[in-house]
Amino acid sequence: MATPELPRVAVRKRGLSGSSWEPWLYLLPGLLIFTLFVVVPVLGTVAISFANWNGIAWSTAAFTGVDNYITAVTDSLFWGAFWNNLVLIPYFVILPAILGLIPATVVHQMGVRGAAAFRAGLFLPYIMPGVLIGVVWRWLLNPVFGPVNAVLERLGLPTPSWLGDFTLALPAVGMIGAWAAYGFCFVIFLAGMQKIQPDLYEAARLDGANPFQEFTAVTLPGLRREIAVVLSVNLINALRAFDVIRATTDGGPGRETEVVALYMIDTAFGAKQVGYGASIAVLLAVTTLVLSLLVLRLFGERDG
Amino acid sequence: MDRRRFITVTGGGAAGLALGGSLRAGPAFAAQGTTLEFWDTLNAETRLQVIEQLATSFGEQAGVTVQHRGWTLDELSSTLPRSVDSNQAPDIAQVNNGEALAGPMIRAGRLVSLAPYASQYGWDQQLPPALQARNMFNEDGTVFGEGQLWGVSIEAEIVGFYRNKSRFEENGVEVPTTFAELETAMQTLLDGGVTPLVFGNSDGWTAIHLFGNILGTMVSREYLDGLVYRSGDMSFEDDAMVNAATKFREWVDRGFLQEGFSGITSDDAAALFQAGEGAMLMQGSWQLPAVLEGLGESAGFFLTPPAEGGGTATPAATPSGAATPVAAATASVLHVGGVGIPYSIITGAQDPDVAAEFINSLISDEAVNTLLDAGVLAAAEVPADKIQAATVTGELYSAWNEALAGDAIGHYLDWASPTMYDTITAELQRLLAGETDPQAFAATLQQDYAQSFTA
Repeated sequence: MATPELPRVAVRKRGLSGSSWEPWLYLLPGLLIFTLFVVVPVLGTVAISFANWNGIAWSTAAFTGVDNYITAVTDSLFWGAFWNNLVLIPYFVILPAILGLIPATVVHQMGVRGAAAFRAGLFLPYIMPGVLIGVVWRWLLNPVFGPVNAVLERLGLPTPSWLGDFTLALPAVGMIGAWAAYGFCFVIFLAGMQKIQPDLYEAARLDGANPFQEFTAVTLPGLRREIAVVLSVNLINALRAFDVIRATTDGGPGRETEVVALYMIDTAFGAKQVGYGASIAVLLAVTTLVLSLLVLRLFGERDG
Repeated sequence: MDRRRFITVTGGGAAGLALGGSLRAGPAFAAQGTTLEFWDTLNAETRLQVIEQLATSFGEQAGVTVQHRGWTLDELSSTLPRSVDSNQAPDIAQVNNGEALAGPMIRAGRLVSLAPYASQYGWDQQLPPALQARNMFNEDGTVFGEGQLWGVSIEAEIVGFYRNKSRFEENGVEVPTTFAELETAMQTLLDGGVTPLVFGNSDGWTAIHLFGNILGTMVSREYLDGLVYRSGDMSFEDDAMVNAATKFREWVDRGFLQEGFSGITSDDAAALFQAGEGAMLMQGSWQLPAVLEGLGESAGFFLTPPAEGGGTATPAATPSGAATPVAAATASVLHVGGVGIPYSIITGAQDPDVAAEFINSLISDEAVNTLLDAGVLAAAEVPADKIQAATVTGELYSAWNEALAGDAIGHYLDWASPTMYDTITAELQRLLAGETDPQAFAATLQQDYAQSFTA
C-alpha cells in the first residue's frame, strides 16, 4: 500500500512516564465508529453471503456454504453487469484524468486570472450528489423537452433518445460519469503541479524545451503520485458506480447499463435474495480492492 | 420534499370522555389509551389528506391515538421487514401483495391472519372472489391466491386509456368500442399530426401495463389466473404472449407511441399528457386526480376495447413452442388492475382487535365516499350517485363498475415471480427497440418463471 506523502514531522518518543494505553484513548471514538459502521456491517455482509435468506427474519435463513458464489460465477446477468462496469472504466477513469489534466496544465503553466473561481467551478460536479447529477442530466438529455436535443434539432442534427437507446445509453452514462469526476482530477493535478520545484521548469527552459516538452519532461513525471491517486479513486468509482446510473437509466434500456452494484441491490432488495446479493457485494468489494491495489502498485511506489 | 411525513392524530374522543360526555357510541372494546401506529404508501397530496382525515375520524370515535406514516413503496418494503426484527414495527402496514412481500412475511410469522375478523366484519364479502384472492394465502404462506385473508385493500386499481377530448374532436375520432377501432383511431390521430399515445418507458413499468392490456384482449381468465397464482402449469411461452408482443411491436413501427419514449419516464409522459400533449395516456386509476387537475373537463377515460369476435386484433403470427392451448377470449378483456396494496396487521401489534376495527373503518361506507369524493377509486362498487356523466371521474368510476360486474379485472404480470419485474421490464424495452423478437421475448419470460421456484 502506498502511503500518501506527508511532511515528515519529528515524532517525539515518549519516555517511560507516558502510559501505554493513552494513545488508544484518543483512538477510541474513531475506532468505535469505524467498528460500528464499517467492520460490523462488512462482517455481517460476509456472513449473510453464505446463507439463503429473503431478508425478512434471520431465523428463516439457511446456511448454504459457497452456493451463492457458485451461483454468481455461473450467472450470465452478473457477468453482463460486470462487463458493463469494465466498459465504463475508460469513461470513469481515463477520460476524466485527461479532461482534468488539460485545464490543470493551462492554469499552472500559463497562469489564468481568477484561477480560484475556475477551480471551484470545475470542482463543483464532484461534490454534487450522484442522484442530483443523474436528475440534471436526465433532463438535459430528455429527447422530448431536453435542451441538448433542442439545440441538435435546430442545427439539423439527429436527436437520439440518448439514455433510452441500446447503443448510446452506456456511452452516455459514461460521459456523465466523466463529467462528474474530472473536476476532482483537475484539483488533484493542479495541487501536484504547484508542488513541483519551479527551478525544474527553469532548467528545462534553459535547455530550450517548448511548453509541450516541459509538460512531458517535467510535469508528467512530477505527477506520478497524483496520477496514482486519481486513477485508483476513479477506478473505485467505476466499479462501484450506482447513483448516477440509478438516477438516469436504472440499468436500462434492457440491461444495457446495468452494473454490478445495481444488480446487487435489485437482487438483494428487489428480488429478496439477500444472501445472493451479499455474495455479489463481497465479490465486488474484493475485485475493487485487488484492482485498485494493482493500480497503486503500478503508478505509486516506484520512486518511494 | 415531503416524501415522509409523520403525523400524530390524537383521539379527541378520549378527552371528551374524560369530561364525562358520552356523545358517541364507541366500539365494543376498551380502546382508551391504546396507540395505533400504521404505515402505508399514501404519502402525498390527495391520498395523504384522505388517509389522515380517516385516521382522525377513527381516533376521535374510538378514543385511540392513531399515528400515521406515509412512505414511498420502495422505502416501506425495505424498512418494514427490518422494523419487525428490531421491535419497532407498526401495528398495521400496507404489505405488498403476493411474493412481493406478503408471502415471505407470512412464512416468517410476521403477519396476523385476518380469517377471524373477515367473518366477524364481513370482509370476505367486500370484493368478488377473483379480487379477494389477491389478498389471500394459505395458512403457512406457501400458496398464493387461496386460503385465508391476510390483508384488506381500501383502494382499487384499473388501468385504461385517459383521453384528451379536444384532440379526439379536432380529429373527428370517437371513443373506440373494438380493438380494431382503437387502432384506426390511433392512425387517424397520427395522420392528424397528434401523438396518439403519450408514453414514457425509461423506467420500464408502464410497458408492463400497456402490454398487459393488449394481452388482456387475447387471453382467458383461467390462463392469466393460473400464470399469476401458479396453478395449472401455465407457461409464458404461449401463442397469446407472442401475439401480444407482436402487436405491441407493431404499434411502435406504426408510430402510435410517443417519439423518444425510451428516453423519458412514465412521470414525464403523464406530465406531457396532463399539459395537453397527445391524445391518449395509458395509466392507472391512481392517476385520476392528476389528470383531472391537468386537463379538467377535456379529460375522458375508457377501458381497452375488446377484440370482438373473430380475433381481429390478433395478427397472423406463427409462434413455435406454444406450450399451453388457450381459448381466445376475444369478446371480453381482462384489464390490468386489481386491488391496492392491502393493510395487514403485524405480529406483535399492541391490540390486534383495535387494529382490525381501524381497518374496518377504512372500508366503511363513509370511508368509501370520502375516497371517491377525492377522486380515489375505492375497493368497492361505486354508488350511482357518485357517477357524473361526461366527466373523467364518472367515466372511470362507471368503467370500474362494469369491469367489476363482468369479472374483467386482470393482473400485473410482474407478480408471477420475484424476479419477473426486472425481467419483464428489461425484455419489454428490448422488444420495443427491436433487440429481441416476440418468440424470444416469451421464451425469456418463461425461463425466469420456470427458474424462480425451482430453488
